[in-house]
Amino acid sequence: MTTTGARPGHAKINPMRRLRRWLGDNAVVRTLGPFVPLLLFWWLLAESNAFPDAFFVGPDTVLGEFGDLIRKGILPGYLSDSITRLLYGVGFGLLIGLPLGFLVASSFWARRLTWPLLLFFQAIADIAWLPIVIVWFGFSLTAVTFVIVYTIVFPLILAVVAGVEQVPTELVRAARSLGAGRFRVFVEVIVPGALPSVASGIRTGLGYGWRALIAAEIIVGTSGVGFMMFDARRVGDVSEVFLGMIVLGVLWYAVDALVLAPFERVTVERWGMVRQVEAGR
Amino acid sequence: MTLAHARTDAGARRRTSSGARRGPRSRLVSAFWFTLPFVLLLAVWAVAVEVTGTPMRIFPQVTDVAAALREMTVSGDLARHLGASLRRVAVGAAIAVVTALPFGIALGASPKLAAFFAPLLRFSVALAGIAWIPIATLWLGYTDSAVIFIVWNAMFFALAYNAMLGVQRIPIELLRAARSMGTGRVRMFWEVLLPGALPSVVTGLRIGLGYGWRGLVAAEIIASSAGLGYALFLAQKSFDTDVVIAAMAIIGVLWLLMDRLILAPLERRTVERWGMKTVAT
Repeated sequence: MTTTGARPGHAKINPMRRLRRWLGDNAVVRTLGPFVPLLLFWWLLAESNAFPDAFFVGPDTVLGEFGDLIRKGILPGYLSDSITRLLYGVGFGLLIGLPLGFLVASSFWARRLTWPLLLFFQAIADIAWLPIVIVWFGFSLTAVTFVIVYTIVFPLILAVVAGVEQVPTELVRAARSLGAGRFRVFVEVIVPGALPSVASGIRTGLGYGWRALIAAEIIVGTSGVGFMMFDARRVGDVSEVFLGMIVLGVLWYAVDALVLAPFERVTVERWGMVRQVEAGR
Repeated sequence: MTLAHARTDAGARRRTSSGARRGPRSRLVSAFWFTLPFVLLLAVWAVAVEVTGTPMRIFPQVTDVAAALREMTVSGDLARHLGASLRRVAVGAAIAVVTALPFGIALGASPKLAAFFAPLLRFSVALAGIAWIPIATLWLGYTDSAVIFIVWNAMFFALAYNAMLGVQRIPIELLRAARSMGTGRVRMFWEVLLPGALPSVVTGLRIGLGYGWRGLVAAEIIASSAGLGYALFLAQKSFDTDVVIAAMAIIGVLWLLMDRLILAPLERRTVERWGMKTVAT
């Protein structure tokens, strides 16, 4: 009786508070919530006609453009082109970068003879390779893939070497003295120990590769989201440029938040190099 | 990236410290080991081009590139392009530091602001730089300011995000101690928040400059009439591959110099002065 009597009073305060707490705790709301005022602000800015339509359009126009391009099949086509290129690039990048990284890391002489070169080639911005790559391969998929592979390979090698160096020597010695062969030490001590660094290397490499892809598509210009944006800019279609930027942002955010960040977190937690990761940050 | 850089930086530190300890002789030795791989690379390059008889349009001989470099220096083209690129990076970076640091530190100091802006910032980091080139050229035309905008844009978000993280990592006792001794807002900013965030800020600066440098090259290829990226693209159009390779080498050397002369000392100084010594050792 008393409880039921007390309920209505609670019910008056609680739902709001509970709603607020739920909103505050909910990961989706916390991540996506801030975008709502941003969208509103954008819409208001566009509605106020502070900028001419040729330079700035509102979210409604961009949404219309989005529906239009989806219906015509242009956006899905370009998007799949971009993603295919990125996947090719990442695949080959991993295939080349990981073995090379472990090779360089495992031998003193390999490191001594290649480390300065690695630093130098990492320093030549990937995009600077585009012109020469166009000379070699023409305006083709190979040219774009080459640039992405290049972008990913060098940060990856550097990260692998850094990761292997972080493996405490005691662990290697302990494993050896327990009778593990070189191969077993490599597979069961060095590779897992280097994984956290490798994971963050993959993440950075992909971040650069993603940008390189956009630049390559703008410059090589046959298809893809980057091409779509630059083509739209050429004819002065702002809404399509805006749309391209949003698509790129959403796509990368999704890849980063749903694939790369969890992968990095899992490896770090699993192989527990938290101490070093903290120091590295 | 941070890990990879931590390694390269540690390598650099080890080298310099051992050089300081054991005098000029060992510094010479390490300089020798740094340059040897490049000499070997040049030799392999020269022999490979000679043996395979690759035409100059595909891959120039070492001597051709050296001649191109000399010619560019004599004609003053090199100085012009170099000056244009460096000025843009300097201006863009300066604006980015001035705008991003106060913003990021304010975010870090206020949990509510941080919760709101963090997802937006992460989204923007994903999009920063090259993806803005079409819209920047639309708003600002094919001008210097469009390129500077790209450099600023590429750096701003990474810098602000890392400044925020840096402030959030300041031990709460320090903040409380400063506050309980009656520190005002201005002093708080200059003497606690800014120095405390510096190690993370330098990391952000390094990541941001990496994006900015790539953005610069891409923007110059697409939208300008001077600068290294433009020189690169102009040479590619006329199939002057010797000039292309020369410009690429210059871009690489410049980044290495920036890294060694500006970023690494800055990083060393901030990490040593305010850094996580207890964690690192």
